[in-house]
Parts: sequence; structure tokens; C-alpha cells
Amino acid sequence: MDVEMADATEQIVAQSRISKAPTPTVVVDENHPFELETYMSSYTGRVAVDRLVHIISLAPSIAPQALQLALRHIQSLRDPALYQVVLAAYEQAASHGSVQLPAADDVATINQRWVDETNTKNQSERMKLEVELKTYTNNMIKESIRMAHRDLGEFYRSVGDYSTSLKHFTKSREFCTTNQHIIEMCLSVLEILIEQRNYSHIPTYIFKADAALDQSTSASDSKAVGGGKGKASAERERYQTKLDFAMGLSQLGQGQYDKAAYSFLKLGAPAKLDDWVGKLVAPGDVAIFGTLCALASMSRSAIKSNVLENETFGIYIEHEPYVRDIVEAYMSNKFKVVLELLEKFSTRHYLDIYLSSHVHDLVNLIRNRSIVLYFQPFSSIKLDRMSTVFGWSVEEVERQVVALIQSGEIQGRVDSQNKILKARQEDPRAQLFAKALKAGSEMQSANRKLLLRMRLQQADLVVKMPKNQKPEQPEFVMGAGSQMLQMSEFVQLGP
Amino acid sequence: MNDPLPTPPLQTATELEPLPPAPAPPEETPAPDASNSLEALIAQITSHNDPQALNHMLRTFAPKEVKETILGSLLPGGADPLQALDVEVNTLGILYLLSARLHVAAAAAPPPEFIEAFCQGFDPEQARLAPERVTLLAKGIVQLGQEANQPTFTAKALADLLVRFPPSLHYLTPLHPLFMTTCVANRLFAAATPILSEAITEIDTTLFPDLHYTDNLVYHYTGGIAYAALQQWEQAEEFFEIVVGAPAQVPSAVQLEAGKKLILVQLIKDGKAAPLPRYTNAALQRLLKGTPYYSLIRFYPLQQAQLQVAVEKEKETFEKDQNMGLVKLMLEHAPRWAINKLTRTYLTLSIPEIGKAVSMEGQDEAVQRIILSMIEKGEIDASLSMDGIVTFNDTPSSAPTRMLTRTEVDSALKEAQHQASILRALEREIGKSREFLVKAVRVKDNDWAAPGAPDEDLMFGVTPTGTWADDA
Repeated sequence: MDVEMADATEQIVAQSRISKAPTPTVVVDENHPFELETYMSSYTGRVAVDRLVHIISLAPSIAPQALQLALRHIQSLRDPALYQVVLAAYEQAASHGSVQLPAADDVATINQRWVDETNTKNQSERMKLEVELKTYTNNMIKESIRMAHRDLGEFYRSVGDYSTSLKHFTKSREFCTTNQHIIEMCLSVLEILIEQRNYSHIPTYIFKADAALDQSTSASDSKAVGGGKGKASAERERYQTKLDFAMGLSQLGQGQYDKAAYSFLKLGAPAKLDDWVGKLVAPGDVAIFGTLCALASMSRSAIKSNVLENETFGIYIEHEPYVRDIVEAYMSNKFKVVLELLEKFSTRHYLDIYLSSHVHDLVNLIRNRSIVLYFQPFSSIKLDRMSTVFGWSVEEVERQVVALIQSGEIQGRVDSQNKILKARQEDPRAQLFAKALKAGSEMQSANRKLLLRMRLQQADLVVKMPKNQKPEQPEFVMGAGSQMLQMSEFVQLGP
Repeated sequence: MNDPLPTPPLQTATELEPLPPAPAPPEETPAPDASNSLEALIAQITSHNDPQALNHMLRTFAPKEVKETILGSLLPGGADPLQALDVEVNTLGILYLLSARLHVAAAAAPPPEFIEAFCQGFDPEQARLAPERVTLLAKGIVQLGQEANQPTFTAKALADLLVRFPPSLHYLTPLHPLFMTTCVANRLFAAATPILSEAITEIDTTLFPDLHYTDNLVYHYTGGIAYAALQQWEQAEEFFEIVVGAPAQVPSAVQLEAGKKLILVQLIKDGKAAPLPRYTNAALQRLLKGTPYYSLIRFYPLQQAQLQVAVEKEKETFEKDQNMGLVKLMLEHAPRWAINKLTRTYLTLSIPEIGKAVSMEGQDEAVQRIILSMIEKGEIDASLSMDGIVTFNDTPSSAPTRMLTRTEVDSALKEAQHQASILRALEREIGKSREFLVKAVRVKDNDWAAPGAPDEDLMFGVTPTGTWADDA
């Protein structure tokens, strides 16, 4: 049946997002609370299904529930191919997962009538739009051609054919007459890229949109000195938050947590995200992204001024109050609480499509920073005291601390016998002397070698191509080489 | 060519000016036979006062093949002409005779004692007039030593020759590689150190016109091998680095071999490989990156299991390159570097824990031995207690644990000043050298002409490109 469906819609399922490397399964229980219904209520449209697919493949314990939800969501869309994606994800989870899952047919049924209807509807709409485009192209009406491309782009996007959709959107650019159009095009492309999680391409379109915004600002400046300016900056403000968000997401996706933190933290109010709220992201997500990135990369004072005292960001945080708890615990050195909270909400983090692959790294970074911060004021500390603070076993603490020392983040050494971490005592004066002497002798030997080299060059004693050698093998001068190889027969060094 | 070619009569030769290397004027006198000519030569050699003129005479008195035969022959009656001459006074003459005797196949080999005496007592001033004969002599000595299987003799004679011949040991001569090759081939490493310890800083092709680039490469390569064999890693590293960094248009095989050994020596010495000098030939760097030696760097010293696997896999290559000895040494040093790394992380550790960290689990005794020897050699600053607990002291062994004394500081300063003065002298030398001045003047001229020049590039007021093109 699946095959028939694919034939009927004549569509290729562009994405194979379930065939990714198997991620660890995520547990949902009392210690790791996760309310699927509440969580999903903040998303609409296609992204909701995407998220549900992600959840199905990661958390088998709530997969049936998610499957039902997903099927319900699909009916409000117009892409029957999504059925396959969802079912495939479910079946994979069922075959991999340790938990026994009920068969997909028992959980939910597919509305075959709807599938057929939607397919016919899509087909006719596609025909209609393509004919329109053709007519407009023949008539050479620029604006209409642009709109036809845009509509086709929207259409293909809604049926899940992203590559064709992108093609139409980018094509529409040639027919853009105003900066407003360019910005619209860029935003549509950005939406697609974000949905596809194609992070590396996002900045290109942000810059394009930025340039268009700049142009419209300057254009309106020259037109009307008085009222135009206000309008232009309003326009910039209208889109800036969206662009910043896209930038932050792209940086997060590429693992540049420090940059991502700044991008997220400078976002405008959630209202400015406009239709992206729900369609792409929930304000709570922004709060989590921003905070985790900030904790993983920023200094304490920067966190204080950028997160805690940032009123706009505060609005985002209100959607996920536990985030504030994490930051506050962090600021007051209650690292155990921080780590417990991070663990408790790890399910929530892992089940987010954008954050999922970074949770592990981010948590590691936060933990490392916590240890470094905690040790800073001490000259020596017992490891078991650290273990109570962080809530780990002594062995675990030692392992973490040793890793941090080896990566150079903690200047100290471990007394493995008495389980004490000691800060390294440095004698700057002796170090300086040693360094100076070393630099001196290094410089001398470098001088010597360079002088010899210079003299060799002056005397033209340069390794050259032997005249009798063919130019096809320029790699090697064998002249003395063969002789040397023979000679090294005598030179078996060592024992 | 049965007839030996005419030799100029004695009288003419003495008066002959050294200036024109004109061919000997044809003579009417019937040509004397070889031994007669040798007698005459000896007479000339002994009677001559001007070594330069004598040198010219010896070089040109006959065409090459005949000349060597004459020089290599004995006096009539079988007497050795060498005995008639004094080593110090007649250095030049002996040099010609001796080198010919060693090379002409039919000639009787000179007595080794005589060669030894000559090498110890010759007059360097005279010998420098005929550097190519000295090289010839040295090659002859090498050959002689090989035939008689007496490497010590060769090494001794060459060392004597080497000490006296150049103005100072800082000059590279064609004898250097001959000497070092003999030493290394016969494992006479200790004999080589007095020569090796004087770094080569001067190259003078006017003094030694037959110097070749391989002389430099081979000398430093073999020197590096000698130092590696003596386990003086620092010097070995420097020598190999000189070879690798030698100026090259195309990489030479010696350089590649040196590069391989350099990697191994660096791993043994520092526990990690340093980047090659920046001026290293790019193709050479590429070649070196393709060798299995390069892959060892990644695993050294902590991942010993992988290291072992890599060594096993490439064993054939290492053996083919004759580097297996160094590879084994490198493997032996791996735990030492691993332990050394631990000192930066830990204050105390028990021996089993150390064994675990350096992947020598269950070999507590071996670990203990290594630690003890490291403490003895001062590689780590640590103490071992009775119950097998190692305490690393607070400062790593690389930093001095005490304050420097005044004299040490003074001597360091003096060294630095010495270096500075060398560089200053060098700069002055370059500043007044012809090539530099010519270039400087040309650059200046072009600058002057720039405003009027119609060149597009100059219009932007950047550096006049024309001058650069000229320089290139």
C-alpha cells in the first residue's frame, strides 16, 4: 500500500531523517517528566509532525501516543507521504526498542479516503499553479511570475517536496522588484532550511535579507527624511528577530555555542517572531537554547547581565520556568541542583529536534565549567567534598577532574592516594628564568642552522635535479640516496 | 700514444709564472721515460721554494693519465720516492705523489705508517693549494682502509687530516662526509665526536672548490646517526634537522631518510614530534607525511596498543629502512613519556595505577623499574615509598627547582651577546657585499623613475612591481 501511495502522489520522500545513526533511547518516567500533549500544543503544522517523528524514534515509551497525535496532525495537512515517514519511524522504533510496542495498526488507522482525496486535490492544484506560471511567463508579467513561483514554492513545501520548493523560491528572486519581495523570499527559504535543519546554508540567506533590509532603509531615507526613517527602522525591527533566531539556530546547529548564545539572547520579544511561533519554534524552546548555550560558554558576569537581567529574554524564560531555576542554581554555586535539573529535563532536551544532538555536548560543557568554577577559590580540596557538592561518586569526580587537568582547564594536580585536588603552586620568577634560558638556547640553535643554510645557498650547494635524470620523476634525487641506503645497512642502531 | 709526452725542462719550469695555465710548450728534447721524469720531479720538488709555482707545475707537467702514472711510480731501482722527501717541507709534492700512489691501480701502496706520519705532520698552507688532491688522498685512504680492513687506521688518518687541513673545524670540507661515513659504517662513534662537536658554520667554495651539496647532506646525516647511536638525542635531532632543512629544489633521498629518523629521534627525546622547519622543501614534507613514521606520531605515547599494532604492520618498512633499532627504542621510551604526562596531573599514584594509565597492567615490577630509572636520570622529580606509592613533587622536572645562580645568568647573557655580535657582523658583511649594493641601487633607481613611468600598477602608489620582477 505504501508503494501505491508513493506512486499516486508521484512524490519522492526527500527526507530520510529517520535513517540517521541510532540515538540513545530517551526514558520518560517520574524522574524525567515529559508531557506530550502540553508539549505538542505549542506547535502547529508540519513541524509538529516532524517533532513527533523525532519523539517516536527516540522515546519508545510514548511512541504509540505520539503516533496517534501525529496521524491526527497529518490530516490537517496535505502531504499524505508523511504517513509513511511516521509509520516507518514507528516501526523502526518498535524493532529496535527494548520496550514491546503495540503494532501500528492497533494504535491508529490510516484514513485511506483522506489520502486519496488529498492526492487528487494536490494533483489538480499543482496543475493549476503550473498552468498559471506558464501563462504569466508567456505574458512576461514580472510581478505575476514572481507570485506564481512563490505560490508553487508554497505548494511544494506543503506537500513536502522541499527541493522543488527551494527551486521555485530561488527562481522567484529573479522577478523580485522591491526589497520587500526579496525579504519575503529570504524568509520563506529560511523557513524551509530551518525545517530541513540545513544549518550551514542559513547564514547565506540571512545576509541576503540583511542587505535587502539595508537597502530599503537607505532608500526610504532618501525619499522622505522625516517619516520614512521611522518606517524603515520599524521594518528592520519587524524582521530582525526572525533573522537573529535563524542565525542562532544555525550557530547552534554547527556547534558554535558561544555565538549561538549571543544570538538567542539578543532576540526581540516573542511577538516579533510572528508566525514562526508554533510554525517553527516555541518561545520555551528559545529560552532553553539560549540558556543552555549561555551556561556552556559564558562567564558568570555575562550570564548575569545577559540572561538574568535581560527583560526581553525573561519573557521567553517564563514559558519554561525551570530554566530560571537552573540559571539561579548555577549563579549561587549549587551545582548539584544544576546537574540534577539538567538530568531531570534531559528528556525534554533530547526530544527537541534542534537541540537533540547537542544536549550531550552542552551538558558536558556546563559540567566542566561548573567544576572549574567550583575549584577556583580553593588551593586544595578533598575529592569527597566535591563529590557531595556535585552528587557523584569519588571515582567519578576524579575521572572528571583528571580529564579537565589534562585538557588544561584546571591548573592543579590530583593526590590520588589521599583523594585531594591541589592547585598547582607556581613560581613565576623561576618559570620566567627557565623560559628565558630556553628561548635563548633555542634561538641560538635556530641561528646556527639558518646561518649554515644561508652559507649553503650562497655557495649554491642546493639539492638540484641531476642532469641525467628524466624530468618525469621530479620527486626524488636518488644520486646519493642509493648510496645512503646501502650505508644504513651498517647502521642498525639501538639494541 | 706510446710516446710519453714531453715535459718542460727543469729550468723553464722554475721560471714559469703561475699565471697562465698555458699548455706546456712543445719541446725538442727527446722525452725522458717515466721514472726519469719522476726523478726529475723529485729534484724539482725538493729544490722548489715557491709552492704556488710548484703546484702549477705539478698540475700541468703532463696530460692527466700519464701524469698519474708518473706520480704513482717508484724510483728506478725500486726505491720509494716518498722516503726522499720531508713531510713538512715538501707537503705539496708528497700530496701529489701519495694521492697518485693510492689511486693508480698498478702503483705500489704506500706504507700506512708514512700516511699516518703525513696526516699528522703536513703543512696545511701548502695542502690548501691543492684541495682536490687532498680529497683524492682521503678517498684513497678510505679505500686502503677498506681493503686492509682497518677502519681505525682510516678514521685516525682522516681525523688528523681533517683537524689540520681547513682553517678551522667550522668549515665544511669534502673530507667531512668521508670521515663520518667511515666512522658510522664501522661503528666508531666515539672517534667522531671531537669533529662532530664543532658545528659547521662556514662554507667556502673558494677554499674547497670540489664541495658538493651531498657533502653537506651526507655529513650531517651520518653525524646524526652517530649521535643517535650515542643516544645524544638533542644533537642527533639538530643534525637531522639540518639535513631535512637543507636548501633544495627537489627533495633528495638522504633528506627523506633523515626526516624519518628525525621523527623517531624527536619521539624519543620529547615524546612528541615537532613541526619541520618552515623552510623545508614542500615536496619533502608531503613525502614524509606519507610514510608510516608519520602515523606513529598520532599514537605516541599514550595509545600503546595502537602503537604496537602500527609498528607490527609496518615492520617490513622499518626493517627495510634499517630503522628498527630506533623504532624499538622509541617503543621503550613510550611508557616514560606516558608517566611524565601523569606527573602533570597527579601528586601521588600507586604503581598499579600508573601501570593502568600507561597500559602496562599487571607488570608492576617493570613499571617500578622504569620509574626508578626515570628518577635516577632526573626525568621526573618523584619519590617512591615502601608500599609502592609514587609521590611526584610539585614542580615538573622541566622547570628548575631552584633559583639560578649569578654566574649562570652571566654566562647566558654572554652567549646572547656573542650571538648578537655574530649577527651584527653578518649584517655588515651583507650590507657591503656587491650583490646587495647592486640590488639596493637598482631598487632606488626604480623608485626614482616611478612617478614618470607609465606603468599602471605604479599609479596606485604601491611598491613598484618592476623592481620585484627584476629581483626574482
